[in-house]
Amino acid sequence: MMGSTLFFIQRFSALFLLGYSLWIMTFVFLNQPLEFTAWQIFTNQLEFLILTTLVAFISILHAYIGLWTVGTDYFTSRTLGFLHPELAKYANLIRGIYTLIFCIVGLLIIFIILLTIWS
Amino acid sequence: MSINHKKTRPVYINLFKIKLPVSAISSITHRLAGIYIFFITLPISLYLLYFSTRSYNDFVTLENNLNNSVYLSTFVAFSLLVFIYHVLTGVRHLLQDIHIGESLSASRFSSYIVFAIWFLLIIFVLFELF
Repeated sequence: MMGSTLFFIQRFSALFLLGYSLWIMTFVFLNQPLEFTAWQIFTNQLEFLILTTLVAFISILHAYIGLWTVGTDYFTSRTLGFLHPELAKYANLIRGIYTLIFCIVGLLIIFIILLTIWS
Repeated sequence: MSINHKKTRPVYINLFKIKLPVSAISSITHRLAGIYIFFITLPISLYLLYFSTRSYNDFVTLENNLNNSVYLSTFVAFSLLVFIYHVLTGVRHLLQDIHIGESLSASRFSSYIVFAIWFLLIIFVLFELF
């Protein structure tokens, strides 16, 4: 994938997530103290269900690009060798395990969000 | 001479020898906050969403847990503050992407502004908690 595509996905997903966060925060702040009925009506409306489903995928996409960037920046033989020269040999393995872990966690988070809001 | 010179050349980056300017600190903490959000704030938000929407009893139990346990409420508040920090520094980065505040002095200034807003928010949250 082109670097500029990743750049734009990261920025536009950030804007979307920012808008969603502001929407949720505004609701919680305007409804203090938060009552169950108001919260239930809010979280059962179609707008919430659709936007949260989108957020589940977009936030994990945003996180994937961010965590992948961090991994390729810091889990390299050059930087891990600073901690211990032996580690430098296993840099690719360590980065692979790290990538595998955040992929599994990401998919799990998407699954739990969808299960939580649509049930 | 050249052999000795090669021997003393560093192979790996010594991170402690790099002196970071304030804008770089806000950039690296943005990344660290991002990692924290993915592995901790996101699961916590899911926990809150799950129990607050499941039933009235679960909602009240969650409310009581947050009110009674200082550790839990501090942990949740801290995790949300880390998220807000990521958002604040993120907005700063987005503004720089559209060429607002790109100069060295403006970048330094906006870093301090972001830190200041975040510390004010921490104080606000501490007042709300205790």
